[in-house]
Amino acid sequence: MYRIEEHPILSAFPKGKLVKFAYDGKTLEGYEGEPIAMALKANGVMVHRYTSRHSQPRGVFCAIGRCTDCVMIVDGMLNVRTCIIPLQEGMKVQTQDGLEKKEQDD
Amino acid sequence: MMMERFEVIVIGAGPAGLAAAIEAASNGMQVVVFDENSRPGGQLFKQIHKFFGSKEHHAKIRGFKIGEKFLQEAETLGVKVVLNASVIGIFQNREVSVMLGDRISHYRANAIVIATGASEKMIPFAGWTLPGVIGAGAAQTMMNIHGIRPGNRVLMVGSGNVGLVVGFQLIQAGCKLEAVIDAAPRIGGYGVHAAKIARLGVPFYLSHTIIGARGAEFVERATIAEVDQNWQQVPGTEKDLELDTICLAVGLTPMSQLARIAGCQVADLPQKGGMVPVCNAFGETSIPGIYATGDVAGIEEASSAMIQGKIAGAAISLAQGYLSAEDFQLRYASYDHSLGQLREGTFGHENKGRTDLKTTDDGYPLSQFLFRKGYLADGELSHYPGVPTSERLNQELMPVIECIQNIPCNPCQDACPQGCIVIGSTITNLPAINQSAKCSGCGMCVVSCSGQAIFLVDVNYAPGYAAISLPYEFKPLPAVGTSGVALDRSGAILGEAEVISVRKTAVMDETAILTMKVPVQWAMSARFFKQL
Repeated sequence: MYRIEEHPILSAFPKGKLVKFAYDGKTLEGYEGEPIAMALKANGVMVHRYTSRHSQPRGVFCAIGRCTDCVMIVDGMLNVRTCIIPLQEGMKVQTQDGLEKKEQDD
Repeated sequence: MMMERFEVIVIGAGPAGLAAAIEAASNGMQVVVFDENSRPGGQLFKQIHKFFGSKEHHAKIRGFKIGEKFLQEAETLGVKVVLNASVIGIFQNREVSVMLGDRISHYRANAIVIATGASEKMIPFAGWTLPGVIGAGAAQTMMNIHGIRPGNRVLMVGSGNVGLVVGFQLIQAGCKLEAVIDAAPRIGGYGVHAAKIARLGVPFYLSHTIIGARGAEFVERATIAEVDQNWQQVPGTEKDLELDTICLAVGLTPMSQLARIAGCQVADLPQKGGMVPVCNAFGETSIPGIYATGDVAGIEEASSAMIQGKIAGAAISLAQGYLSAEDFQLRYASYDHSLGQLREGTFGHENKGRTDLKTTDDGYPLSQFLFRKGYLADGELSHYPGVPTSERLNQELMPVIECIQNIPCNPCQDACPQGCIVIGSTITNLPAINQSAKCSGCGMCVVSCSGQAIFLVDVNYAPGYAAISLPYEFKPLPAVGTSGVALDRSGAILGEAEVISVRKTAVMDETAILTMKVPVQWAMSARFFKQL
């Protein structure tokens, strides 16, 4: 729903093949090689993690790997900057709760 | 330990770094460029608007195309660009530590160019950590690189060129730009950039700040309020906006950490945007052989960064014996002149932060209305040399050039095959209508104007009707015969209009010329067509 179908200046956005990945137990689709965060945004996902002390939601902020606000658990690894790590088929992406995965997830 | 050696190590593959690398390599030097990102080009590939300047500054070429050209040049010259490579230290004798994947490698260079650019500033407010609050750079990365709309309804905080340009791009990507706010009492960026979004109906709230963002899990609304002369919130002026995205464009800070690590002398210079390495005219820092160029040495436009990079590349080539003193002098003189041109004018170095300017350099009144509203008032038009007299407009088809600030830019002059537009050699001069030339209506000025400030007006199109030709960069492109409404400079609906011609060819580079038919009394006020 957030993918730009038609752009007046940019004729196409080069994309890899459409692949499936897991997000908090759900199956979503995204393009291989695009940053994980972009595939999530395209699916309407806004919250990437909750802070450890106050459990506040965080999402994409800088989108270039600098601020680390968008980190999630990817294939079991904590603190993965989803805005710069490319999506791969079958990846398991989980909302991060402080320094753990969120309890209710799968 | 093996340590690979290079003649030149450039840190950062943005416009400044690539320019430095290309210049040094073109003189025969062996150059490597390290960049921490997975793509080269820095922010250039996110810039989809046509650049300002003159031919030598790549004017009227879109940023990403300049980036493509630079990468090609670098490749042809054998410049090695290493991506995903974070430089983590610069040590004595120009040793550089680079993190590549999980390994740290060490290199040594005869000369180092620090071209690390800048990072975005942020302003904290209640709720600023909510998902949906993003930097303007993030918006550009999402929509212009990855084809993802950052949101549906967006508030832009900051009316500098970044806020204005990204605001326009958000609309091009299909977002609704709800408003542009700025704590300052006047618009900070170019009037032409403001006018482009004002005529689409985007309101500017000046002397306004953001009080807070609210939403349970992500942004659902924002509260803005007026501030007084002392930047204090005026009670009772709060306004709630329903939106899902807040985009921050509140300035840039030089990323001078590596220069500091290296031990270069730094200084906190507000006019350069913060802590910057102290450099000589060629970009050399206090440590011989270490140069800093582009935004890291002082926040400017990408066009300036490219020239600064070339100067550093030439200076290194001279120091290392790859360029003779005479050749260097020639090149430096030309680059320095080119750079000087970009630093002139209403927004130039000497006028930075000034709010007291009343006239342009060439003696025309500066519209205070434009600074406050984002567009020109109808009554002001006749003050400017790019606006034909009503006698002339009544006789023939004419360009109307609504460019009224001294901006270093002249493609319109070069674009007109009839010689209708005169700027002269001082490229910050306002474009003027040549009284003795005749407009053919080709529209090349319309599409060459990076500020989209030129319109063709034919008041004799048909009895009672005028034809207005305007630049159009949105999808869908209306077809001939489409009826809709004409909007004035503020985006207010004047009334019915019909598209009578749509021109788009390769040379126009994606800027279409849309011609609409409007009642003749709106000839000098209708400036946009909206499909209903």
